[in-house]
Amino acid sequence: MISRRLAIVAAAVAAFAAGSASAQDVEAGRKKAEACIACHGANGNSPNPAFPILAGQTSRYLYLQLKDFKEGRRTEPQMDPFVKNLSREDMFDLSAFFAAQKPVSNKFKADPAKVAKGKTKADEVLCTMCHLGGFKGQNEIPRVAGQHYDYVVKQMKDFKTGKRTNDAGNMASVSKTLSDQDIDNLAHYVANLD
Amino acid sequence: MTHPSVMIRGAVFGTLMAAACAAGAQEVTGQKPATQGGVVPKNVSVTQQQLSGAGGQGANWLHTNGDYFQLRFYPGNQINTGNVKKLRPAFVFQTEVVESMETAPIVVDGIMYLTTSYNHVYAIDAKTGKEFWHFKHKMGPVTTFCCGPNNRGVAISGGKLFMGTLDAKLVALDAKTGKLLWETQIADPEKGYSETMAPTVVDNKVLIGTNGGEYGIRGFVKAFNADDGKLLWTFYTIPEKGHEGVWAVNDATGRNMLRDIAAEKAAFAKDSSFWQTLGGGVWMNPSVDLKNRTVWFVVGNPSPDLYGAERPGDNLYTDSLVAIDLDKGTYKCHYQYIAHDVWDLDAVSPPILIDVKDKSGKMIPGVIHGGKTGHVYVHDRKDCSLIRFSEAMIPQENMWVLPTAQGARMLPGANGGVEWSPMSFDPATRNAIALNLHQPMTYHVEAAKYPGGSKLWLGGAFKVIPGEKQWGRVAAVNVDTGKMVWKHDTEQPLIGGGLATAGGLYFFGEGNGSFNALDSKSGKKLWSFNCGAGANAMPVSYTVDGKQYVAMGCGGNTQLDFKRGNSVFVFSLD
Repeated sequence: MISRRLAIVAAAVAAFAAGSASAQDVEAGRKKAEACIACHGANGNSPNPAFPILAGQTSRYLYLQLKDFKEGRRTEPQMDPFVKNLSREDMFDLSAFFAAQKPVSNKFKADPAKVAKGKTKADEVLCTMCHLGGFKGQNEIPRVAGQHYDYVVKQMKDFKTGKRTNDAGNMASVSKTLSDQDIDNLAHYVANLD
Repeated sequence: MTHPSVMIRGAVFGTLMAAACAAGAQEVTGQKPATQGGVVPKNVSVTQQQLSGAGGQGANWLHTNGDYFQLRFYPGNQINTGNVKKLRPAFVFQTEVVESMETAPIVVDGIMYLTTSYNHVYAIDAKTGKEFWHFKHKMGPVTTFCCGPNNRGVAISGGKLFMGTLDAKLVALDAKTGKLLWETQIADPEKGYSETMAPTVVDNKVLIGTNGGEYGIRGFVKAFNADDGKLLWTFYTIPEKGHEGVWAVNDATGRNMLRDIAAEKAAFAKDSSFWQTLGGGVWMNPSVDLKNRTVWFVVGNPSPDLYGAERPGDNLYTDSLVAIDLDKGTYKCHYQYIAHDVWDLDAVSPPILIDVKDKSGKMIPGVIHGGKTGHVYVHDRKDCSLIRFSEAMIPQENMWVLPTAQGARMLPGANGGVEWSPMSFDPATRNAIALNLHQPMTYHVEAAKYPGGSKLWLGGAFKVIPGEKQWGRVAAVNVDTGKMVWKHDTEQPLIGGGLATAGGLYFFGEGNGSFNALDSKSGKKLWSFNCGAGANAMPVSYTVDGKQYVAMGCGGNTQLDFKRGNSVFVFSLD
């Protein structure tokens, strides 16, 4: 068991020298983000739980996901058309913009019993070794604190079933150890974090 | 990176190990390239003749590993077994970067050039430590690298210094002023390429390999024109055709590697396009045989490190010794130590060119390499063939058990044996002296598709086994017999360079800050000084105004998480 738990930490030190986003990048990104508002909401605070909240996400994670969509390592029919024509510069700017926005509450009504069980599970599988304390994310590891419940459940299930594979194997490895109930509890827990 | 609560440690070099989600120390990027301070108060220029003859003189230290043959042997004997106990710090130079230090300072006419993590370069007075100038590389927006933001030093030729950068550029600086003369992009950092090695310059060609075996690169050695940075040739360490090799059953020592070759062949018939992401980094300086116009280097692990199903075949030329033509970059010969490696016990420590006894006892031109397996391999320079391998310098166990999802225990752990740590060769004893580490690990495999180049791609994990003792060993191996002549054990695993001298000494450092001198004939410790931070760089020696100095960078190490610092200590006799 212990070894299983440890497997998840095979994540990166790849210090993407987290590009210091300049104010210009953020402003350029604001303009380019107009196409994103319909699904991801104003300033990346998506009102629809099927679409992820991007506000406050790490810029490196955003950039790499955009790149993965563009290059076909991650697919989502609703997302794919939007990334096709993005340049590298566009992707940097968009990432800088959304990373600089303030996330607001997802208004999720969490079940306290599930939150408690989710926290226990999170401690057991060492989520915070990569996602960091408070699930705030770092570098290419996403912030998931306060993310939509529906979106979190879908991603964990997609990792588990191999539908999403752009994680270098790390989430695949950990999600295989999770039952549907575990995923439900974990999603209650992280969606309920600030 | 250590996470004490789960006893995970470190990254495997040429290699990365489990662990380390924790955000590394990062430096703000995007600043302009800047050179601060004044100029070196003399003209600095190094001729090809000086570079070629570097091993025969004691005034300067002109190459990372001493000379083109990479002996890491200093021919001066002013500091020797009789007086080393009087060795004292002459000065301490502090850089502004407190992070992992692996630099080998280059010393020319009393001027020392040293580098730090994140590609800073300093020019200082090698006698007093006075700073002349300080160059900071303007880092690009994306860097992707394993095992710390290290740099192992500059190369010099003419009046220019050359350095590879974390964002996969080659830069040339004016040795007198520290001003940037040109820079060129070696490869795409978004695809996992980065540079931490020092280049080697020969006949106006700047030779450099690449990191990235943990990210699915296609490795190479490239040659650039020292005048303007124009690419002259590229040798890819992964050939487009033929990388499946000979479907080798045994490793270099004759042990079965438990491959399912029928299954591999079937998979290969379906898809052999993975050569583009098959890894094969080159982490350390090549050796150069000028007489035969041949460049010698070793190639690191295949990508992904532990998950072999993605990459059927021998994965040539990963885990191999390779010789290429200096002028054209074309293949001459190779010898693969481990075909289809799934343990990351790859080849990293730079090869050394010396004469060796062949099987009949005749002295012939040879080449030796210290492996992560813990063997010193001795080859014939004529055709790369293996003459002998040494007895194992550290414990081996359960080789070659295949990695499993739950984890399979095997020794050595994935850091080695001998990591990137360059060996020394002492001509007086004919011993190769190697820094080894012992880190018991379990090997875990996990299916993983190529994640695009910017995400660590191990296909599993290496895990240090909690509660099992780790330690280091300096081992002296006679290259003509393969026998271990002496050993000196240390409390912590060893990583960094060593230096043998004509004074009968062997200098090396430890992660606890201890910088030591051993008697190179017996391995007995004669002198020690604690630098206060991990002594994990590469020691060098030189002479200014008739006085011999020994310099060692003590900035700790990211890979084994040894205490960080920012100092280069320089020692001399009272």
